[in-house]
Amino acid sequence: MPRIALTVHPADNVVTLLDFDETDMHTHDGLLLRGRIPFGHKAASRPIAHGDPIIKYGVAIGVATRTIAAGEHVHVHNCR
Amino acid sequence: MSTTAAESSFMFDGYVRPDGRVGIRNHLALVSTVALANRVAELAAARFDAERGPGSDPVLRVSGEFQRGLQTPDAMLQDQIIEQLITHPNIGAAVVLCHDRRAAQSWTRRLSQFGRPIEVLAVMESKGVGHAIDRTVQALKAQALMLGDALRTPCPLSSLSIALECGGSDASSAVCANPAIGRFVDRAVGAGATVIVSETAEFIGGEDVVRAQSIDPDIAHAIIDRIAQVESRMSGDGDHYRGVNPTAENIEAGLTTLTEKTMGAVCKIGTSRFAGCLAFGERPDRPGLHFMDTPFFSPCSITGMLAAGAQLTLFAMGVFNPSGNPLAPTLKICGNPDTLAHWADGIDVGLAELIDGRIGLDQAGDRIAEAVRAVACGATTHTERWGEGQFIIPRMLPSF
Repeated sequence: MPRIALTVHPADNVVTLLDFDETDMHTHDGLLLRGRIPFGHKAASRPIAHGDPIIKYGVAIGVATRTIAAGEHVHVHNCR
Repeated sequence: MSTTAAESSFMFDGYVRPDGRVGIRNHLALVSTVALANRVAELAAARFDAERGPGSDPVLRVSGEFQRGLQTPDAMLQDQIIEQLITHPNIGAAVVLCHDRRAAQSWTRRLSQFGRPIEVLAVMESKGVGHAIDRTVQALKAQALMLGDALRTPCPLSSLSIALECGGSDASSAVCANPAIGRFVDRAVGAGATVIVSETAEFIGGEDVVRAQSIDPDIAHAIIDRIAQVESRMSGDGDHYRGVNPTAENIEAGLTTLTEKTMGAVCKIGTSRFAGCLAFGERPDRPGLHFMDTPFFSPCSITGMLAAGAQLTLFAMGVFNPSGNPLAPTLKICGNPDTLAHWADGIDVGLAELIDGRIGLDQAGDRIAEAVRAVACGATTHTERWGEGQFIIPRMLPSF
């Protein structure tokens, strides 16, 4: 089953995973996930450069502390 | 989205009151102005309801820990809120029960200016407790006759004032129920409705959003000042909110920063901009989105927003939360599949399809709009069916 990933706002560069099946690496709208991402966590929906804002809800919720590839888990290890 | 204001608006059938405001309910209310009168009110309402029999709407009891011996700012706030509740547009007629004659005289004078069907009684003008109950029941019967004069007529979405609230928050409410409410809020504000959001502490970390989403810098400054005051009071009480959030538990659940956590609740304002910053219970002086400075306990913040004239509350949930208020319908909106499976008898708008990916946030917002229209026309919410909710007015100072 492709995973459910919700984009809250059109300007967002992350999606939120809303299902519990961490084995499938594809989301229902075609994003290839890089690794297992738990329910409620975020994945980059496009490449994000080091220092660029992480956008969710259409606002900057943090800054990328290194370059993040599309499909990569976005959390405290690469966003502050 | 390219929907025009006309397309995104809707009409509903409401009760137009003498002051031009619109009720979506036509309650007969029994209001006790001090807790001393609560028991007589309770017994009178029970007898009146029993005599009217099943099928009739029960009397709406407005009774709280309303008290004497308050310092002036608290006494003024309490009387202001009681007055605003008695004259709320969802009330068609009211009996106001005071303890003593002097209070009754004062409330009679105060309420006469509104031209609404209201009868004021004093318990102490009776000859015994039984007599006090008899008099209250008689007054309810007389006021019940006044309700029939009100008829529902078509009213625009712009005549609604909508309170926003959330509770039982989790990862689902942050990306489903709250943003879905945000889509509806954008539509309601675009159509000229009034929307009020509260719980000042929830805005800590959302200052940039307030700055970006206010109609002018003065309003943004006023709101940010209220947020700073709450943060400072929390810190004085040993709670350093900004330092400990997001918590380890939040991080495990996927929240990365404080702004992300705050936005999970704040996103229910959509992309709308603040047109006002209100004190607890203060009536907005214009339509649009307003911030109200309230405590974060939702029965209390809802009381403040209803006193300001909100006729209904949109309440986002993750896990179930029974908050509500009997004066105004509370629509419980939820996208958490577990909660939807087990608490269906407490949820008015289920958004499971949002989690499944079968609908998007815009469609979820449309679903909320449909539910708001139905409830505004008289459809019963689950909080009304269960009789949930209470009136709580915050206190600032020690009482005498």
